[in-house]
Amino acid sequence: MVKEILSFREYDRFVLFITVFLLLWSVVNIYSASFHEFSSLYIKQIVFVSISLLIILFLPKLVDYRKILELSLLLYITGIILLIAVKIFGTTVLGAKRWINLGFFQLQPSEVMKVITIITTAHILSKLELPLSLKDFFKVMFLTAIPFILIKTQPDLGSAVLILLPVLFMVFFAGFKSKYILIFNTLFLMSMPIVWHFLEDYQKNRIIAFLNPDAYSKEFAYQIIQSVIAVGSGQLTGKGFLEGSQSKYYFLPEQHTDFIFATIGEEWGFVVSAGLVLIYFFLSIKILYTGYRLTDIGGKFVCYGIGSLIGSQAFINIAMNIGLFPVVGVPLPFLSYGGTALMVFSVMMAMYQNIYIIDKKTKFKLSHSEVEKY
Amino acid sequence: MAEFLKSRFGVVFILFFIVALTIVGRLFYLQIIKGQHYREISDRNYMRIFVTNPPRGRIYDRNGVLLAYDVPTFQLVCLPYIVKKNYKIEDFKKHMKDLLNIELTDKQVEIIQKNLYPQLVIQKSLSTQQMKTFWNYSYLFNGVYIDVVPKRVYTPEANYLPHVIGYVGYPSEKELQKNPDLNMNMLVGKAGVEKIFDSILRGKPGKRAVLVDAMGRQKKILWEEEPEKGNDVYLTIDIRLQKIAYESFVQSGNPSGAVVIVDPNSYEILTLLSYPTYDLQKFYEGMTKEEWQNLTSNIYKPLLNKVFSGLYPPGSIYKPLVSIAALEEGVLTPQTRILSRGEFNIGKYVYRNWDKRGCGYIDVSQALEMSCDTFYYQIGLKLGVDNIVKYTRGFGIGEKLNPDIESKTAIVPDRQWKRKVIKTGWFHGDTVNLSIGQGYIAITPFEATKIILPIINGGYVLKPNLLKAYFDNKTQKLIHSQREVIRRYNFKSYNVEAVKYGMYRVVYGPNGTAKVMATVPIKNAGKTGTAQVYSYMTRQKKHHRWELRDHGWFIDFAPYDQPKIAMAVFVEHGESGGKVAAPIAASILRKAYYEKILEE
Repeated sequence: MVKEILSFREYDRFVLFITVFLLLWSVVNIYSASFHEFSSLYIKQIVFVSISLLIILFLPKLVDYRKILELSLLLYITGIILLIAVKIFGTTVLGAKRWINLGFFQLQPSEVMKVITIITTAHILSKLELPLSLKDFFKVMFLTAIPFILIKTQPDLGSAVLILLPVLFMVFFAGFKSKYILIFNTLFLMSMPIVWHFLEDYQKNRIIAFLNPDAYSKEFAYQIIQSVIAVGSGQLTGKGFLEGSQSKYYFLPEQHTDFIFATIGEEWGFVVSAGLVLIYFFLSIKILYTGYRLTDIGGKFVCYGIGSLIGSQAFINIAMNIGLFPVVGVPLPFLSYGGTALMVFSVMMAMYQNIYIIDKKTKFKLSHSEVEKY
Repeated sequence: MAEFLKSRFGVVFILFFIVALTIVGRLFYLQIIKGQHYREISDRNYMRIFVTNPPRGRIYDRNGVLLAYDVPTFQLVCLPYIVKKNYKIEDFKKHMKDLLNIELTDKQVEIIQKNLYPQLVIQKSLSTQQMKTFWNYSYLFNGVYIDVVPKRVYTPEANYLPHVIGYVGYPSEKELQKNPDLNMNMLVGKAGVEKIFDSILRGKPGKRAVLVDAMGRQKKILWEEEPEKGNDVYLTIDIRLQKIAYESFVQSGNPSGAVVIVDPNSYEILTLLSYPTYDLQKFYEGMTKEEWQNLTSNIYKPLLNKVFSGLYPPGSIYKPLVSIAALEEGVLTPQTRILSRGEFNIGKYVYRNWDKRGCGYIDVSQALEMSCDTFYYQIGLKLGVDNIVKYTRGFGIGEKLNPDIESKTAIVPDRQWKRKVIKTGWFHGDTVNLSIGQGYIAITPFEATKIILPIINGGYVLKPNLLKAYFDNKTQKLIHSQREVIRRYNFKSYNVEAVKYGMYRVVYGPNGTAKVMATVPIKNAGKTGTAQVYSYMTRQKKHHRWELRDHGWFIDFAPYDQPKIAMAVFVEHGESGGKVAAPIAASILRKAYYEKILEE
């Protein structure tokens, strides 16, 4: 019995290894990014990581993702309630209401909503006729639009975008017609001036700062400039663990959350930071590939959702750290400090492993050609 | 493969691959291609150079009596941008008031609110209580710290010579631009010895490269260059003599004047008094508006260093110079007797002797003794203006023998000068006036010593000196100033003796004009001078007014046989050299003798 619990042979060991490695490494980096403040953040991170490891290692054996998919409506409603609750009871940090204070834990409902949206969308897609029709597309988008707006008005553009992106990928995988995609893309681009109008001032400033950092050196581009200096100054092999001056001496704000990559780039250099990009690439592609191979439609779309979320969130975060993307509040999966995000990503990974295990056990596979069209 | 690429998974794969590649490409650009550039920026980003100012060197008199030194004081400084970030200005003000009892001025509040300067001094010289409170409550004062700054302290002795010591202050914009070694918080000499020997006294600021965070807080010292303490300076001033001069002048009751005492053999300045004086410490630390107005509106001009900056007609103290010139130029010999009456005529112009009875047939020594004007009118005319000027300039009058310490020099009128300034030619009358030190000539009290120096020291024209030595901290050696000869006269000894003897008779002769000096227990010799400021007629009308009276002069050297000191006493509008200036000199010499500063 004990042997069975501790055996991970049925797991996707490639993904498991990467996740565990990233989680353990996060403690090291958060220590480096925060020890100079005599902060105990890394101890909290150790607690979160321990819980995450328990979730990832043991949860896949205890539940069945198909039952969870059945509960998606309940989950969805809970998520929306949480998002409304945060508007009412939320703690205001830097002008944004994003957290609900539970005393021992700062819950960030927008993070929770990420996984719920993926589950709900996957569940609905499994019930719908594929390829996705225009009508069904609107149904899916309507369900996503509610949390998107709620989060966008917190305001938290980054999380809102990351609610939307996986859904768009899933819709794409669901065979939504190319011509519609083209039309919607065109419409989206044409509506940019209107979208701009709906952005908060600070979001506009961040975008302006991104486009022209030198002009905003003092205020909005400060983060971008300092972060780019941090990463660049890491050179090939980095300044060494705990030796990063940019991240140590407060030049880099948020260095343990959204800008943890800058700390890594500064202290570990090109070799490790480029390697990290590849790790995220392979992690997301492996998860997407599992989805690609999978026969169960629900599981398939959950994998598509998780894979595209991890990939796009990691890339957006890193791009933001190196001045390739405007600063939107997006943490780096597994590596940034933040309890809720870590829990949510762990739950996603547990779910992925669960899908992987169950798929292996059913041993019932369709040939590639039949699945390929989705 | 083609099918895979056509599949939607393939499309996403390629999309992710491109994005990943772009990011890695960007990382390559930032870290490898531009890596060195960003490394340099990050190094600059967190390194700050802090300057520590060393204590200034001390100032001593020639015998090691302390005149000026540095003490550390503690001032409260804040970084406005951090204060602004952390506190509401009302809270900050309240904390300052309640805990430290410091009332922030509106100006300071404005500086903090508008972040006008990177640093703001909230209060200078904190009390021990304030410092204790600050340390205890420092968590309430983010961005506020205590800075150690040196403060100059002047000893009570220094108050006998405030004009010589001068004062210190923070460098001006101009000075900062001119000298890169200076910094804003450094005390530099602004006047007097503090300014003249600033480069010796100043020392070298230390530098500290410190790791700082974005808030400017110091985290770690990278490298440090120790500050070098300024070198101590030993002036040539003998503070005992200075004090005697000061007290003698005060006792004389005269409101304004100057005393210079030098060593004639080295031209070291032993005493340099400009009277009235002022409180040096108060002047440096800042006065009230009223105190300042009292100083500036005082008609006796306490702030003016009369010794170097006042120009006054020398009157009869000029006569020894004219005498030696005439003797050396062969106009007369020591034995030549000239009939000197009560008046002297050039055409219709009448030039009177101060004593209308006249002097009779007299030689040069007697002429000096009686200060006989008509004698000098005659030899002056024979000598000619060019010769008088030649000797005057040769003695260093009208020349900055030491440009560091002499701020003004005499007006020595000659033909050229008169044409340029008065725009007329040179008349015999001008020569007559010049030969008794009247007319256009004006000298500083310091230059009065130049008149007798070459006569009594073997013909040497020397560079006057205020610096006896300084202690070089680097080599740990006392560096002495050297005597510098500018030029030398080869006077015939019998000519010199005749002039010296004349000055001896001024003191000891039956008709001497400074008989008071004979009461001094040291054998000495001198020359009185009463310099006319306004014409006789004007004076008669408004005799009572101080600023219309004659200036009183007395120059003196002692001991007579081997002079160790030469002295010039100047009493502004003192009315008479013999009756006013000479008694002061007598008092000084007497006290110096009894205090065993000067011996036969």
